[in-house]
Amino acid sequence: MRKLTRRKFLLESTTIAGAIALSKTEASAQQNTPLDMVVCKWKGDPIPEEPTKEIADKLTKKAIEALGGMERFVKRGDIVWIKPNIAWDRTPEQAANTNPDVIRALIELCLNAGAKKVKIGDNTVNDATKSYPRSGIEEVAKELGAEIVYLDRSRFREIDINGERVKKIPIYPEIIECDLVISVPVAKHHAATTVTLAMKNYMGVIENRRMFHQDLPTCIKDITAYMKPKISILDAIRVLTANGPQGGDLKDVKRMNIVSASVDIVALDAFGAEILGYNPNQIGTVKKAYDSGLGQIDYKNKLKFQEIIV
Amino acid sequence: MKKKKNSSATQWIRRVSQLLFFFIFIYFVWKLHFIKEEDEYLKIYNIFFDLDPLIFLLTSLSTWSLESLSYWWIITLIITILLGRVFCGWFCPFGAYHTFFSWIANSVKKKKDYQSRSIAHRTKYFIFFLFLGMSIFGTQWFGILDPFSFFYRTLTTSVFPAFQVASEDISNLIYQKDPNILGFHLTYISEPVRNFLRNYVFKMTQRPYYTEGTLLFITLLLVTGLNFIRPRFWCRYICPLGGLLGLISLKPILRLFNDESTCTNCRLCSKACPAGAQPDQRGNWLPTECFVCWNCVESCKSGSINFKFNIPGLKTIPTGKIDYPRRMVVTAMATGAVGMLGFKVQPQAKGGQPFPEFLIRPPGARSEKEFLQRCIQCGACMRACPTNGLQPTGLEAGWEGLWTPKLVPKIGYCLYNCNLCGKICPTKAIQHLPLQEKQKTKIGLATFDKGRCIPYSYGRECIVCEEHCPLSPKAIYLVEREITLRNGEVVKIKQPEVDANLCIGCGMCEWSCVFQDKAAIRVTCANESRNSNNQPILPSDNLY
Repeated sequence: MRKLTRRKFLLESTTIAGAIALSKTEASAQQNTPLDMVVCKWKGDPIPEEPTKEIADKLTKKAIEALGGMERFVKRGDIVWIKPNIAWDRTPEQAANTNPDVIRALIELCLNAGAKKVKIGDNTVNDATKSYPRSGIEEVAKELGAEIVYLDRSRFREIDINGERVKKIPIYPEIIECDLVISVPVAKHHAATTVTLAMKNYMGVIENRRMFHQDLPTCIKDITAYMKPKISILDAIRVLTANGPQGGDLKDVKRMNIVSASVDIVALDAFGAEILGYNPNQIGTVKKAYDSGLGQIDYKNKLKFQEIIV
Repeated sequence: MKKKKNSSATQWIRRVSQLLFFFIFIYFVWKLHFIKEEDEYLKIYNIFFDLDPLIFLLTSLSTWSLESLSYWWIITLIITILLGRVFCGWFCPFGAYHTFFSWIANSVKKKKDYQSRSIAHRTKYFIFFLFLGMSIFGTQWFGILDPFSFFYRTLTTSVFPAFQVASEDISNLIYQKDPNILGFHLTYISEPVRNFLRNYVFKMTQRPYYTEGTLLFITLLLVTGLNFIRPRFWCRYICPLGGLLGLISLKPILRLFNDESTCTNCRLCSKACPAGAQPDQRGNWLPTECFVCWNCVESCKSGSINFKFNIPGLKTIPTGKIDYPRRMVVTAMATGAVGMLGFKVQPQAKGGQPFPEFLIRPPGARSEKEFLQRCIQCGACMRACPTNGLQPTGLEAGWEGLWTPKLVPKIGYCLYNCNLCGKICPTKAIQHLPLQEKQKTKIGLATFDKGRCIPYSYGRECIVCEEHCPLSPKAIYLVEREITLRNGEVVKIKQPEVDANLCIGCGMCEWSCVFQDKAAIRVTCANESRNSNNQPILPSDNLY
């Protein structure tokens, strides 16, 4: 029998205890608290110009995988509403609408996670019969068997949301009746709010929105609070840097090849503002949402954040 | 007996042909709303206008040119010279429409009177010569009574929207009340039907509205109701195309032959005739009225009348003469010429300003005078317009411009990526512009009403119009200015301004303006490319 001195005992016991503790924290980090936010950048050396299909597919799938997979958000049998920005009668190259290839990847992920149905729709500005096909999203949805929904203006329902500024607003009921609504905006410049991102994208589930421009930050915050986003994805594969939100000139479009996903919509918008070259603290919508406690601006320190180069 | 069976088959072929052409017409009108800018062969949608010799004749006379006119009408001309007005009886979709309602009227009526000819037959020739007189003096107005224009216009602006309203309202009512019988909800049926209609038939996220829709609906109802007074009232008494075709079918090869030896003078054929072509009057049958519908042949119990080819050189089959005195040709044309002068006393007839500032013509429209000389008020542009922005005018363009297209931005704007109205205009009153050229063509100019505009008058941010401006760089730009609020606080607010060099007057800003009653930014026809007398802005790149 080996002689155990006090010194040896203390030394050994602390080592073992430390090892156990260490192993436990590592395991819990993997299982219990997954990432809150992921930014996927294309290493792409050199960055391929066209097309975006492969890049968008890889970036989107990697980002969702790093967040814990789509199974984290979509239960089997769920109905999912993907809410891209398809407001304008513009082609994907003009970057006024969400990239159809990001939508393609998302539909695949949702269906693979066991979603019963994936619906896609937006309350467009130009007529939907023009902007849906032009954006390329209608084609992608039909190809994968997702349902493209033309919002019916006579079916919007007045709903009390009791926000700070917005008390009652017509919302498209089919959207909020879904199990999950995923906001998938494209990062764009916007004259009123400087940038238009995931929170402003919710302007496409409501009607009577024009007078919101008199106090956009508060109105957008109210709607975001009502929508209670669980996950949002930012398409920054092509971004519109000027003459937003409609664009039209290819000179204003910048190829960035970034897709970011987050459970915190405010953090996602803060990141979006940064890549467009603005300080998120000076963006009215982001600041207002942060002040009302909807999320974090300082995503690097306050959230479990990871940047992945694909 | 054998003879009778044959004639019946002919009649069935005629009915099928009428139905076919009717549905082709309806299909083309319906389909026109869903065409895309990239589509080729859009010309096919104009085939009925191309087949109409009236449009060619009167448009070429009023404009005194043959530019961008089609020649398909020669087919109609040849058929009519050889066979008489078979076009009216067998092919005309509007004729088919009237045949259907005459049939209904005849089934409802208890007493069927003899539908012999009357002096009212002359009306359609009068109308034709009236419009001819106008066209010779450079005014085109026959579009209001051309059968295809009439039918097309009323379908577009009233019948299709009415169907959409009905389907939406009924399904919405069921949806809201949600009635059910033992757990079976009526919405199980109504919702799929509605979705089908919405996705495949109307494909509209928005109801269409037309400013003159009710009036045009009434015109169609009226014309339909006239069938209850006389079968095919329109074709017999009103249709100017019928008048023209009557004039060129004076001596057709295909003629009605009445066998004197077997005819019992029962006059059943005359009773069955929807045209009043008096088939019972031996040797006095009127080829100018006859639709060659074969009704008389079938009605004859003794089998003594039939259509036969009158081969020159053999025994000729005598026919009646046209019932239109020559001096009435002069009267009608003189009336047209004088009537046309009536149009010209209005200020709109100047061919430029002044006409109302809100009369915005679609992009590619010719100068006002030439535009009115070509426009046949068919409403094809209104049907093709994806935003519902093109509307029929009332009297704002003068009586002469009744039901011609104008843009009403508060209802719908001119879509930046669209040039469909010019592509499908059958007489090219709206010229086809390539998309890039169309995007530079000015149809008007936006002006701020700074007494209403929110950032100017009410001290708040707004800029919805700037967001919607489809140009790049935008024609609406923002200037940040300091504003003193009621409590003395000084705030910086972005105020929008219009760049007059860039603005093309598409009206999207007016459409998007938060004011629903009277927009704070409004488009007028000032600066329109087609009218050099209406361009107050000196074109320049470096002058503001």
